[in-house]
Amino acid sequence: MVDASRHPKVDVRTFTEVERVEGFVGNFKVQLREKSRYVYEDRCNGCGECAEVCPIEVPNYFELSLAPRRAIDVPMSQSVPLVYNVDMDSCIECYKCVEACGELDAIDFGMEDKFVWEDVGSIVVATGFDHFDPTAMSEYGYGRFPNVITAIEMERLNNSAGPTAGKLIRPSDGEIPERLAIINCVGSRDKRFNPSCSNFCCMYAIKNAVLLKQAYPDIDLSIYYMDIRTPSKGYEEFYNRARAMGIRFIQGRPGLITEDPDTGNLFVQSEDRDLGRVTEREYDMVMLNQAAVPQSDVDSISSVLNIAQSPGGWFMEYHPKLRPLDTPTDGVFLAGACQGPKDIPSSVAQGSGAASRAGRVVHADEWEIEPVIAAVWEDRCISAKGKKCGLCAEACPYGAIEYEEGKAPNIVTAKCHGCGGCVAECPHNAMTQLHFTDAQILAQIQTLLADKPEEKILAFRCHWCSYGGADLAGVSHFEYSSNERGLRVMCSARLDADFIYEAFRLGAGAVLFSGCHPQDCHYITGQRVGAHRAERLLKRFERMGMTPGRFRVEWISAAEGEKYARVINEMQEVLDSLPKEELLEEIKTMRSDMAKRARRMRQVPQIEEASDFADKIAEAYRAREPQAV
Amino acid sequence: MADHSSQTQSFADQVRAIPGGEHLEMCYSCGTCVSKCMIQQKVEPEYNPRRLLRMVMMDMREEAFESPTTWLCSACDLCYPACPQEIHISGVIGAVKQLAVEAGYESPLETVSVDELLCSGCGICVMSCPYEAPHLVEKEIDGVMDRLSEVDANACMGCGICVGACPMGAIARPGVANKEIREQLDFPRQNGTPRMVTFVCDWCLRADADVALLESYPENVQVVHIPCTGRIDPEMALLALGSGIDGVLVCGCAPGECHYQRGTVVSSCKIGLLNRALEQMNMGDGRVRFVQIGTQERGRVRSEIDGMMEHLVAWKEAE
Repeated sequence: MVDASRHPKVDVRTFTEVERVEGFVGNFKVQLREKSRYVYEDRCNGCGECAEVCPIEVPNYFELSLAPRRAIDVPMSQSVPLVYNVDMDSCIECYKCVEACGELDAIDFGMEDKFVWEDVGSIVVATGFDHFDPTAMSEYGYGRFPNVITAIEMERLNNSAGPTAGKLIRPSDGEIPERLAIINCVGSRDKRFNPSCSNFCCMYAIKNAVLLKQAYPDIDLSIYYMDIRTPSKGYEEFYNRARAMGIRFIQGRPGLITEDPDTGNLFVQSEDRDLGRVTEREYDMVMLNQAAVPQSDVDSISSVLNIAQSPGGWFMEYHPKLRPLDTPTDGVFLAGACQGPKDIPSSVAQGSGAASRAGRVVHADEWEIEPVIAAVWEDRCISAKGKKCGLCAEACPYGAIEYEEGKAPNIVTAKCHGCGGCVAECPHNAMTQLHFTDAQILAQIQTLLADKPEEKILAFRCHWCSYGGADLAGVSHFEYSSNERGLRVMCSARLDADFIYEAFRLGAGAVLFSGCHPQDCHYITGQRVGAHRAERLLKRFERMGMTPGRFRVEWISAAEGEKYARVINEMQEVLDSLPKEELLEEIKTMRSDMAKRARRMRQVPQIEEASDFADKIAEAYRAREPQAV
Repeated sequence: MADHSSQTQSFADQVRAIPGGEHLEMCYSCGTCVSKCMIQQKVEPEYNPRRLLRMVMMDMREEAFESPTTWLCSACDLCYPACPQEIHISGVIGAVKQLAVEAGYESPLETVSVDELLCSGCGICVMSCPYEAPHLVEKEIDGVMDRLSEVDANACMGCGICVGACPMGAIARPGVANKEIREQLDFPRQNGTPRMVTFVCDWCLRADADVALLESYPENVQVVHIPCTGRIDPEMALLALGSGIDGVLVCGCAPGECHYQRGTVVSSCKIGLLNRALEQMNMGDGRVRFVQIGTQERGRVRSEIDGMMEHLVAWKEAE
């Protein structure tokens, strides 16, 4: 830390929080709140005379409330920077510290928080993790039995810079314990609290046990566990070393800890799985290996940085395998336990990686973005005409659309990843997607349905999944109906209801609305937007009396070639089961309704030209091939 | 609900199909349930809910039906809130028991029996039983149609709550019949020290040291062991006080921890009412006391007995 604080290119701002973040990759504007210490950083020399005279003592959060701090104090003697701060909640403003500070005059009770704006190119989030509070687990008696402590509290006791100068003592009487039990998975792998495994605690327990055994060779140590997870390099060997040192491992999760009120000793009751019997063993002290949980302020960080959370509250990576250090927001990266609990080697590796990825942004002159971006026709937007809307902004998974009532939305181009959800959500067709405009897609629909549309199965596929699935069906030679005609969009979110109505208006026999499975969407929540729309369409067509199976919604992955072929064949069977006259009659009956619903599409720029172009293509096609019967 | 008599379903599937039996495959054998269970500790070392779930998962049908775990579980649910996989363990065991009964197995427990001549068909036993073991049925007794209580022996857990509840004394359970308890109330005076009788349920003292402690008291403290404080009839307390015993202490499980689910609810109500009646008769000297001891309260029983004795000494001196 000291090296970092002295590096000419590193600016360490402690006691500072991020209030707001604006902008986009390479061009972020970050507002910082430099909280007031009531002590000038450039004047305080860390002598500590102020703390010595301060009459107020409060629990020290750094020492996990095992030791006190003065109202003016420094969290630990190696703090960087070594500048004292005043805890104004407990300070009585007696000014003894000011007196003691004397000529340095570093203390100023009039100081206020300072707000500054900084320009940054990229952001790395490394906010770490917090510890589970086992008070909620009444069966372990934490908080009631003084000699039941958490692992992190034990670390402070064992630390030579800690409150007991490294002596492990029992809170109840100050004696050194002879028998110690460590209980793993306190709050981890527990559906009542945190279902996930905290990753490092098995090694953590073994490390603590080995340290204690080295410091107190005669100590009797038992570790109660469900499983021992020591996967990385050298870890299994370390586990063996612990066993060789005489540390006892008991497989069996304790269900109960009771206390002898006279001695303060604890009785740990667990089934010893290896013996197949419940045992009750007496200990002088019990250490609970608490779970790693997300920090309490992850929700506000998520909102300030516009990054998402995975289940459990850990920040969400772009892709768990392929891009574990990126967030879906370009220019914001993740490192360490805030992305998911992990040990020190993994955190350090991630830190290096995140720095490298963040460095790419900062060292580049230009940044390549997605060309398939959305744009607004401001003259068609009803928000610009004073009406309330904002549906486009709601659909965007990246927060790329800045929406203000009374104005047309502003699309932050650098943040647009090109799903097209906003374009399709717009009820007034006031938005377009470059390279996938309504006119272009409509021209494709028109051309594909130019001849004998009632025989055609028109399949809308998303680029990343269902198109891949169809492709796999092809290369795998899975046979499916040759009446299928496929059409590609980037995401199922792009599939405007108007496309479906238009397809049926033009006489399509069957239409398939397909995309990724919900958890696979390349644009995170694009599929959700598409799915919601598809459900509405299904209900509408049901109410209109359409033959079931003519409109179908399926989520098909790039690996599901077999499924794609099967779905198309099933749709062909639906068409085969309908006598042709009936099908044509149904198409004709619904035509006007479909036309009415898709009417706004007719007003989209270049629709007419595209339609004419489509007709020409169809004609040229007919001219080249002999007429099929 | 799936047809669980089908032969094509695996044993595990059959258990899962019964409400309460779901999610048993989530068990990762941590052993927490076994360590919380009082039955394993106090009654039957082979009792092991974790092992039973494993037997079900491995389709070991006969072993599961013959396991003591299947029959001894009283669904006190000390295990359920402790299970990190949130499996309703007593529900799984109950499902196995249901299948076992259907397959013709019978409960090995000491169950209650109804004296048909004494039973008045009032139905109080039906209301008091946590296991829905007694039912009112129409039966012909001496040529006359009568309504009587009949107990399903496979559902009865032998707690004795109905024995204590029955106003006619028509239900009995070997070991805790009224006569057997009355005999234990007949113990000699000891010079001038107060005499007290302590009713202790079989489950409220988890620590073996606490149970051993009970036997270490001199003869002026008579300990009567009962399966559940729900077995207590207020008449016993009156009988004790009437025969010259100075105090009655009843020790049961903490609220929510009763081994037979609601025995302590029943007993706390009954003893509460008794104490109110004693007060109305100007006999409310705190000589009948009901205490509920939690599984984590090691050593508390000693302070309760000592405290009661002190109270009685003071009361005797004041007389």
